Amino acid sequence: MEQANSVRPDGEPKAGILAHLEGLEAQMSRPCKRSKELQQARAEESALGTKIHELRRLRDKLRAEVNQQRARGKASSANVESGQTVEIGEQEVLERKQESVKAILQAYRFTGLSGKQTSRGVCVCISTAFEGNLLDSYFVDLVIQRPLWIHHHSIPVFIPLEKIAAKYLQTDVQRFLFSLCESLNAYAGRKYQADRLQSDFAAFLIRPLQRNSLCNLLSFTYKVDLMGQSSFCARLLYKDLTATLPTDATVTYQDSLLGTEALSALREEQRASHEALFCTKPLHQVFASFAREEELDLSLAS
Amino acid sequence: MAMDTERAEMRALEAEIAVLQQASKQLPAPWEDGARVRKSFQEIHQSDSAGWESSKDPKTHLRHLEAELSFLSMLTGFNITDYSKKTEDLTSTEMTEESIKKVLQRHRLSGSCHVVTFQLEFQILEIQNKENLSSVITDLSIVMEPTEYSELSEFVSRAEERRDLFMFFRGLHFFVEWCEYRKRTFKYFKDKYPDMVHLPKGACSLCMGIRSTSRPGFELVIVWRIQIDEEGKVSPVLDLLTKIPQRALELDKNRVIETAPLSFRTLLGVLGIEAAVECLIRLLHAGNE
Repeated sequence: MEQANSVRPDGEPKAGILAHLEGLEAQMSRPCKRSKELQQARAEESALGTKIHELRRLRDKLRAEVNQQRARGKASSANVESGQTVEIGEQEVLERKQESVKAILQAYRFTGLSGKQTSRGVCVCISTAFEGNLLDSYFVDLVIQRPLWIHHHSIPVFIPLEKIAAKYLQTDVQRFLFSLCESLNAYAGRKYQADRLQSDFAAFLIRPLQRNSLCNLLSFTYKVDLMGQSSFCARLLYKDLTATLPTDATVTYQDSLLGTEALSALREEQRASHEALFCTKPLHQVFASFAREEELDLSLAS
Repeated sequence: MAMDTERAEMRALEAEIAVLQQASKQLPAPWEDGARVRKSFQEIHQSDSAGWESSKDPKTHLRHLEAELSFLSMLTGFNITDYSKKTEDLTSTEMTEESIKKVLQRHRLSGSCHVVTFQLEFQILEIQNKENLSSVITDLSIVMEPTEYSELSEFVSRAEERRDLFMFFRGLHFFVEWCEYRKRTFKYFKDKYPDMVHLPKGACSLCMGIRSTSRPGFELVIVWRIQIDEEGKVSPVLDLLTKIPQRALELDKNRVIETAPLSFRTLLGVLGIEAAVECLIRLLHAGNE
């Protein structure tokens, strides 16, 4: 009953054979009906399973995608950051290096000899100075090929450039440059001394200083105080063109002063000491010492 | 029951998927991001490289500069390794009114010339008025290594005193050139006459001894000094010392040994350094046979 009831929950009770047959039929169909229900349920279940399965797949895919995106985002931003620091760091290092190399290139002028490479060779700059005073610079534009030659230059004509070039240019460029350096610095030094004498100690000069273009022959007449005025003629010759001190200094009396023997002896002593001074000290320094002596004499006299 | 849990799972999944889809849309696509970043970098590069002179690639430019530097150091013989400069404006308000500019520069420079290393510190006072610009080195200090060249250290003090920077470099150049020449010459004779020539303090020292192999006790010593004068000019000074046994000296009636140093000077003047030394060695060599 329970079975029948459960089989035909909605069925009406039938009577007679027909009812029996129906009952049998129903009994026959019961498993069928049951299996149909079961099938239905199973289908439903499997459909649900499939859907879940698909959903899981979709979810996993999405999860993976999102994770990947997040990871990529992080990685790319990390990459950007590290890339940035790498590039900026490298750039900074490069820049700093460039600046320091540029500065060192500039610093070569303090050696007195610097240069810049040209398409055909090098343009050398030679700086001159006398003692602490930085003076003029000159350039020599060299074409580096066999044989080496000077394309342009700003060396004064009276500097024996050709002689120096003939001696060293083809065999030893460094020696050529240093020889030129020596000549130019010596010329600049002699000129500086003569200029200073003219500008700072004009009061001592009776006549303007005379000089040749190389400034290796100077002559001047000057007066110094010595119990009354006493004037001398000086002739300074610099035979060595790489020197800033004269090789020959001759001091003579300007006037034939009449006086006592003692006075003339004193004058001779002074003349000789001036000759020695001109040979050992720069010209303007010799006159600076004359000026100091005069000041001293004046202060002693007063 | 099973269906219910499955349905619940389905709903949960659907919800999670919705959230994930939302999240996926919000995240920017990485390739787009990268492109944006790259572009901005290109801009940085371009704006920066515009400031660099000849070369667009900073690495190439640096290589050019470094090549120029090695060329200059080869040309001058000075290898400057470090340099820095500081400037200080000393222009006062009164000076500005008279359009005078006064600047003090402090420089530090270090480098080498062959085996000699130097460190310099100097100040340059620049005064610019309407007519001209004067630059004066007001202070110069030099530290050098090695200090064993006594001639050089004297010269350095003189250069410092005179504040003559260029004279220092010229003098250093010529001095080092002469030292190298002396070394080469000593080495040449040592290689040529290994039995007779000896260098008691090495090739870099200023002495070279010549011994007779057959007559022990006979020795000539060449002392080769390198002088630097007041103006930084470098010149060699060679002297000959003799070590001869007393008995031999007594037999030297013509006083050859006594006058040898003077004769050597004459020989130098006539033949030059190498030939004069060669001559001396041959003299002793002939005595060996």
